[in-house]
Amino acid sequence: MDDLSFRKAVYADPFSKDPELLKAAEQDPKRKSFWNEIKAMENELQSAMNIPVPENLAEKLILRQSLTTHTEKKKQQPWYLALAASVMLATVLTVGVMNTGNNAFANDVFAHMDHVDAELAKNAAVDLNAINAKLASFNGQVNGDLGEVLSANYCYLDKIKSLHLIVRGENGLTSLFVVPDSITESAGESFSNATFSGASFLLESAKIIVVGESKDDVSSLEQRAKRAMLFSA
Amino acid sequence: MGKISEESSVLSDMNTKQNRYEALVRALHADIFRYAVWLIKDKAIAEDVVQETFLRAWKSLDSLQDEAAAKSWLITILRRENARRFERKQFDTVDIDDVSIADDVAHSEDTMQQREIRKAIASLSEEYREPLTLQIIMGFSGDEIAAQLDLNKNTVMTRLFRARNQLKEILTSQMQFGEQVNG
Repeated sequence: MDDLSFRKAVYADPFSKDPELLKAAEQDPKRKSFWNEIKAMENELQSAMNIPVPENLAEKLILRQSLTTHTEKKKQQPWYLALAASVMLATVLTVGVMNTGNNAFANDVFAHMDHVDAELAKNAAVDLNAINAKLASFNGQVNGDLGEVLSANYCYLDKIKSLHLIVRGENGLTSLFVVPDSITESAGESFSNATFSGASFLLESAKIIVVGESKDDVSSLEQRAKRAMLFSA
Repeated sequence: MGKISEESSVLSDMNTKQNRYEALVRALHADIFRYAVWLIKDKAIAEDVVQETFLRAWKSLDSLQDEAAAKSWLITILRRENARRFERKQFDTVDIDDVSIADDVAHSEDTMQQREIRKAIASLSEEYREPLTLQIIMGFSGDEIAAQLDLNKNTVMTRLFRARNQLKEILTSQMQFGEQVNG
């Protein structure tokens, strides 16, 4: 083996176990020391390339997959059920909200429901401080256990600012909307259809609307919200 | 009766699939992430691409018959996802210069030398950087790299040789430069 092929082979695979290469190194101290030099460089390369991995990356990958699987199951419903659910939600939110601009409002709800999946896809649990910071603009705070909140974002429903929390329940995901009570008169109602059930109620100065696929989850979130959320006028 | 047993077998299939997926994530996410960072040279984008990769892996997990092939299967998906990123975002891709790459892959607790090495690796062209990453991070042999990148083995070995040769030149010239400054 000539010098050049020896060097090339060592550079291409510094930890090679090729017997011919090992033999060539044994026979020549110069070659041997060259190889050791390259091995030392290789160890440094390895440790430099071994960059730290973000904390919880594995958990995030698993969470993202389970959320996507959940969303896909939802998408397997016939389209008219989903439409009915959206119309139902839009109708419920529109009751007592405004007499004009209902279409814009409904469209906003549709648009909003579309981006829920995207919101979920990128987020892990939201911590209590972040939720309280957002609730502050409704003069509210969470003081207790609301459950695992996966997303907390403002959304505008026909120019009405609301806070949309997505909470993990026993059977799936449940949405909780916080709307200023000045917008609406009615409270204490419950509603449902083939897909969704929901409840809305007043907590001091805010109106809370809870909507989800599981009746049990909705009522358990309703109870938790009544215990844990405080609003002042 | 028939329906119940069918449902429970679907459920147990789902559980098996879930377990397989979680095992795959735990065993390989770190190496796949590192590979993505060295390929893409931007941590945030690399993390997104890794997310897409595993999501796609979940969807076609049934097509992975042999767990031993999982690494190269995931890398194939990742390279495709990365290529897709360019198709999607051809208008807002920016060339990232080597300095920001060094910042992105460097950490405050690292030694100067590690930073210099990372910067040097990031400055290699992709055709040299990628086989080097497959060899060092993924532990691939020359034959495996050749199969993954659809190249012949001699080409792969030549690229690996040139990659390290260039690194050595960069690092040696930096050391000399450093000595002059310090002296």
